Amino acid sequence: MSQFSNRVRGFDDNLLRVVQYAVPLADRDDWLRVWQSEIWHLNHRRIARPDTQATLAAGLIRDALWLRTEAWKRALEGTAISCMAILALLCLASAVLALVLTGSRQELMLEFGAPYRRFLVEAVLVVLVTFATIFRRHGHQASATIPRIRRRVFFLFKSALVLQLAFLISADICQPLHAAFPLAHDILQTFVAVVLSIAGLRWGFHDQETRCKHCLTALESPARIGRPSHNLLEWNGTEQVCRHGHGRLNLPEMETSWCRSGQWLDRRSENHQVA
Amino acid sequence: MSTRLSHSAALILKALSLGFCFGLDVMEMTGLPSGTVYPALRRLERDGLVTSNWEPEQEATRNGRPARRYYQVTPEGTSAALAATERYPLLARLLPESSA
Repeated sequence: MSQFSNRVRGFDDNLLRVVQYAVPLADRDDWLRVWQSEIWHLNHRRIARPDTQATLAAGLIRDALWLRTEAWKRALEGTAISCMAILALLCLASAVLALVLTGSRQELMLEFGAPYRRFLVEAVLVVLVTFATIFRRHGHQASATIPRIRRRVFFLFKSALVLQLAFLISADICQPLHAAFPLAHDILQTFVAVVLSIAGLRWGFHDQETRCKHCLTALESPARIGRPSHNLLEWNGTEQVCRHGHGRLNLPEMETSWCRSGQWLDRRSENHQVA
Repeated sequence: MSTRLSHSAALILKALSLGFCFGLDVMEMTGLPSGTVYPALRRLERDGLVTSNWEPEQEATRNGRPARRYYQVTPEGTSAALAATERYPLLARLLPESSA
């Protein structure tokens, strides 16, 4: 640390000491050095401007908070937790909208109770049909037990949230019809709920397949590999990678009899093979 | 592809391109509060429009002051600043070239 750092005293020093804890540990030394230097230069200006000094405090606080929120954003972007949190927030927003549309909690239970019970039966059928008809494109190597269990638990919770969301959205959309056309409301609500559930579950499968098989983070940096073939005898497609370096997913441009599905390539097993 | 900038970010980028390369100088030149300038500098750096470096410690010590972090506009930043000047014509009047 610079010999000038101890020349920042009084209010500024106390502020730096407190606010530094908002800065992520990796950036803290650099942040402290920047602000100690800025404060020193401010205090040693030839032409002192008191208004600048007052606003510098706001700058260092907002700078620290920006670094913190960026670190959180980087850490959570594309993770299973953020996916679940977004779905849960959408469910909550839909539930609040339903509450507003019906007027009270009692009315909500009264109006949505029977459709929800009906939806639970529909959901079983939707899940069965979706599982039966989905084409799982991406084969991957056998993985360790814990990541496999984690993947399944994530898929289970995600599917449950998607189904809840499908029901709530369908109920919100059709609610205005409830009083005037009860029969039409029931039919339309069932239809919308089934369509949204199927679409949601298919998205859930797709989302699951395009996540890292180890850490469940969404794969990124899609890059084209190979060159387009005229005779279908050359492999070409897209490659996506896990940002934590756990592996990569190769997706063929088109399905051929000898290369029908994509493949997850685990980095650790690749390293093991090389060794 | 040029990046679309907010008016504040464009003003800061313009000040940097005119040679005001320290946070405090940018703040005083643009008249923007520090709570806008410093996070905006971070964002510009994240987006690759500016880079930042520490000035050499020896040089600063020789002048009897601590080293400062200075910002430089990248080629992408230069084209973004040009695009911003077209989008916000008043920028040229707020920060005329001669003020550098």
